[in-house]
Amino acid sequence: MIRETLAFARRSLIGRLRQPESLAPSFVFPLFFAALGVSSFGKAATRLPGFPADSYLAFSAAGAVIQGVLFGATAAASDLATDIEGGFWERMVASPVTRSSIVVGRLASSFVVGAVQAAVFLAVFMAFGVRVHGGIGGFVGVVVGGGLIGLAVAGLFAGFAIRSGSSEAVQGAFPLVFVLLFLSSAFFPRQYMSGWYRHVADVNPTSHVVEGLRQFVTRPLGTQQFATAWGIPAGVAVVSIGFALRSLHRRLAAP
Amino acid sequence: MRTAPIVATGLVRRFGDVVAVDGVDLRIEDGEIFGFLGPNGAGKSTTVRMLTTLLIPTAGQASVAGYDVVRQADEVRRRIGVALQDAAIDPLMTGRELLALQAVMYGLPRREHRRRGDELLERVGLTAAADRRVGTYSGGMRRRLDLALSLIHRPTVLFLDEPTTGLDPMSRITLWDEVRSLNREGTTVLLTTQYLEEADQLADRVAIIDHGRIVRQGEPRELKAQVGAPTLWIDVDAAQSVAATEALARFGELRPAAEGRVGVGLGAGASGVAEVIRALDERGVGVRHLELHEPSLDDVFAEATGYHLEGA
Repeated sequence: MIRETLAFARRSLIGRLRQPESLAPSFVFPLFFAALGVSSFGKAATRLPGFPADSYLAFSAAGAVIQGVLFGATAAASDLATDIEGGFWERMVASPVTRSSIVVGRLASSFVVGAVQAAVFLAVFMAFGVRVHGGIGGFVGVVVGGGLIGLAVAGLFAGFAIRSGSSEAVQGAFPLVFVLLFLSSAFFPRQYMSGWYRHVADVNPTSHVVEGLRQFVTRPLGTQQFATAWGIPAGVAVVSIGFALRSLHRRLAAP
Repeated sequence: MRTAPIVATGLVRRFGDVVAVDGVDLRIEDGEIFGFLGPNGAGKSTTVRMLTTLLIPTAGQASVAGYDVVRQADEVRRRIGVALQDAAIDPLMTGRELLALQAVMYGLPRREHRRRGDELLERVGLTAAADRRVGTYSGGMRRRLDLALSLIHRPTVLFLDEPTTGLDPMSRITLWDEVRSLNREGTTVLLTTQYLEEADQLADRVAIIDHGRIVRQGEPRELKAQVGAPTLWIDVDAAQSVAATEALARFGELRPAAEGRVGVGLGAGASGVAEVIRALDERGVGVRHLELHEPSLDDVFAEATGYHLEGA
């Protein structure tokens, strides 16, 4: 099962690397939004009392990581749906391969892609002067956190992909996750929000994940950051991978 | 007694109210090439998908390589090679990478991956293109790679679902040669096709399926013989038409023909041609041109279904 999972993960990574056009949005858009945020609120934000970072750029790093990872994880699930649409899925299920390795391999690649994206984003932000207060541990915290977020989101979308068998349906569901991101503290601190927006951001797990990631950058290393930036996506990943595997068994049980 | 590699009894598959396969019985013997012939939507691919464990039958039973396709699906999968319609191959990977992935999927030991991959690439003539992305391959190259992929674990039973659909004549002939060669090595082959010539060229036996039911099954020659005797058409001088007709009458049923042409259904089969020529010669009838028309599988198809497959 491990060999099979690794082989499918490798295939998935090869696919990502050989379609640079599918990776481009996951790098370009988050950096664009970060640049837009810095030029719009850069000066004003840091004058706000209690602003949780040295600069708006340092503040926006975590949001950029999550945005990028969301794009990447959706693309991985979309590839799974393309396998179903294009017939490669049947090639896999006509073989004696362990069924779960087909999905787990794809999800494992989302972890790797998410982690690499997080590392690249953080490196870019550091090149522009962002200091990671958590040191190497903080850097690793963001990178692994990015991987776990990729895993959690890819699991959810892989479930949709397997159930719908349609890459268009997967891409159609993507804005829903993006709405969750905008209704979180990814782009603005919660303490300055008010009304329903604040309530939604408070209960939105994305806020807590992004804040955990952010604290790896803005604060010295602490257990709280791991609990939110790793713990929440890891917990969601357990549920979403379960959903994906259940969808797989459902699809295979009623062919 | 050893079980035949492919046995199906009363196989049925429904999709809602639509009955795609309606009680198919098959028995394919060791080392046979079996052609499954029918138009699009006749139930060929659905039958193959049940036999290859991709679809669960609604009713009936089937065993492949001695194992039940539902209860022992994994055992079946280990022993069969499957090349499905449309050659679903990841265009982003190279031929060599796909063979390595397929080797993992079929549990080949790691040390064998490269050797077996190279062996198959050479076999299907893709060594030079092995490290190119499949997206750059022609249709024929994809089909050949698909065949190579299906052979990675040396299957004893091979399913080829419309292996040459959309291929040019040269690619088609290359693939036929490869199928024959695999069969000589002992692989039992079930191939579906809508090309009569393909079934005629390759298959030891054929089954004709229409609306989910097998309407004829047997050796192509036997099936064609059942349709009727071969017809011998002879062009003679118009003035000798009557003499020619009298000479031919004893060889079989005369066919209606224009003046200067006579036709007879040869009761004795093609071997009766020499005797017909002698009879005409004895009566002094000069032969300008002759042709022997053997019944085709399309005639068999038309006789069984009421319509022709060619052009269907």
